[in-house]
Amino acid sequence: MSVTSTVPLEAELARLIVEALHLETAPEEIDPEAPLFNEGLGLDSIDALEIALAISRRYGFQLRSDDERNHRIFASLRALAAHVEKHRTR
Amino acid sequence: MPPDAAGTIGAAPPLTPRRPEAVLFRRRGEAITVGRFLAEAAALAARLPEAPCAINLCADRYLALLGFAAALMRGQTTLLSADRSPRRLRELAERHPGAHALVDDAATLAQDAAAAACPVVVTGCAEALLPPGDAGRAVAAPRIPAERIAAIAFTSGSTGEPAPHAKPWGALVAGARAAAARFDLADPARPASIVASVPAQHMYGFETTLLLPLHAEAAGHAGPTFYPSDLAEALAEAPPRRLLVTTPLQLRALLASGAGLPALEAVISATAPLAGELAAEAERAWRTRVLEIYGATEAGSLASRRTVEGPLWRPYDGVRLRIAADGSALAEVPGLPRPVPLADELAPAGDGRFRLLGRRADVVKLAGKRASLAGLTRILNEIEGVRDGVFVAPEDLDRNPRARLAAYVVAPDRSAREIVAALRERIEPAFLPRPVVMLDALPRDAVGKLSRRALAALRPAAARRPRSDA
Repeated sequence: MSVTSTVPLEAELARLIVEALHLETAPEEIDPEAPLFNEGLGLDSIDALEIALAISRRYGFQLRSDDERNHRIFASLRALAAHVEKHRTR
Repeated sequence: MPPDAAGTIGAAPPLTPRRPEAVLFRRRGEAITVGRFLAEAAALAARLPEAPCAINLCADRYLALLGFAAALMRGQTTLLSADRSPRRLRELAERHPGAHALVDDAATLAQDAAAAACPVVVTGCAEALLPPGDAGRAVAAPRIPAERIAAIAFTSGSTGEPAPHAKPWGALVAGARAAAARFDLADPARPASIVASVPAQHMYGFETTLLLPLHAEAAGHAGPTFYPSDLAEALAEAPPRRLLVTTPLQLRALLASGAGLPALEAVISATAPLAGELAAEAERAWRTRVLEIYGATEAGSLASRRTVEGPLWRPYDGVRLRIAADGSALAEVPGLPRPVPLADELAPAGDGRFRLLGRRADVVKLAGKRASLAGLTRILNEIEGVRDGVFVAPEDLDRNPRARLAAYVVAPDRSAREIVAALRERIEPAFLPRPVVMLDALPRDAVGKLSRRALAALRPAAARRPRSDA
């Protein structure tokens, strides 16, 4: 199957993000398709580093910025979940 | 008598005085020589539209340098905006009629929401790149009048629209030469490699990663270099005399990641005070020196120190600091037309060095951006439904790179989330409050003043940093 649901992982990542960043948002209120940065959830580069660190600890892989791909990873919670699903080692 | 940095730059310093065969940059595994760069910059210059200024939005550091150089060749001023939000880009375009924008690659423009929203002519710098192996035609480095405004940097923040700070070419060259002398980067026989995690559009990143390759014996790295793994990879690719240019936040993340690094000549940190323990830990882990630059967007880099050696900073050659009895200071910088007032309080140490006492009370700095607490508080109180409110900086703001501001708000009919949503439209993400504490009333005293202690007592337990003292 090429289409895998990442919905449970989305919820898990939403909790991880809210906890790691002390956000004023409930995890279930993060729109899985809204941008995480700037006009969306309002995250910034400090948060990107925090999320990268939290993800490497929980899922066992490092985020990297190669060119355009990085825009896509943080384009939304759903995109981030898809990326984590693909690269996680645990 | 030591030569005065301003006196040695002359009336029209060249774009770069380096030899054509010297390596200026490394990009995707390729070494780009000064000669090739000059050919590519001239090719790009010929493609630029007629315009007074260029908004440089390039993420690739080499393309950012190419865009800056091409604009300079055409007599255009580069606008340095680290804030890439569509709102800010529209504002820049309005304030600078006729401006055009430079991006990495016009073909991928649609993927770049910020650049796509910029209502001006856009040129992709990558279009001017020569095919690999093509040395290009020989182009002499042009001479640029020292007083020409090469760039405009902006102090971002929340007190309204970011304020512009014009950078004459002579000031940029003098600053780069002073940094080259200070960090031992002036010997062509021992070139250095600079790998950096700071954007080229931030004044500190602009000076260290675009101007040093032009005016010091150092090669830049095109990137991308943001996450710890990117930095470790870029450093591994770079030849020795590796210089890591970073911030306290990135330094902390790189240490926490445990990434192995090759031998480093030095680490340079700026944008916020680096805690002594963090510097000492980095020196041990990477067996190198951790140096800090003190500067301001208005004035550029002004002084440096090795963090573990103590609190005294040594001004760059040619920089004069006039420190008043109350700690306020004016910086006289070679190439700048007038002295620059600083946002920090300084104390002279008697031997030409100085101690940094701290920010003037109202100023906060996060993610390399400055804002005024009073300005943020005013914006908060302008939100519909807010009856009273205040922004507060945490005690550890200068020591904890992850520290955030808090807001205490009285708005009976609005939720904390609505307050954040309203603020998000008006201030930069770095200054969004975490937490927002909703109250029935602020604990003002008889004269209407707020004390930090009274506010701290109201902070809910859930919003405090997790501790093991439960």
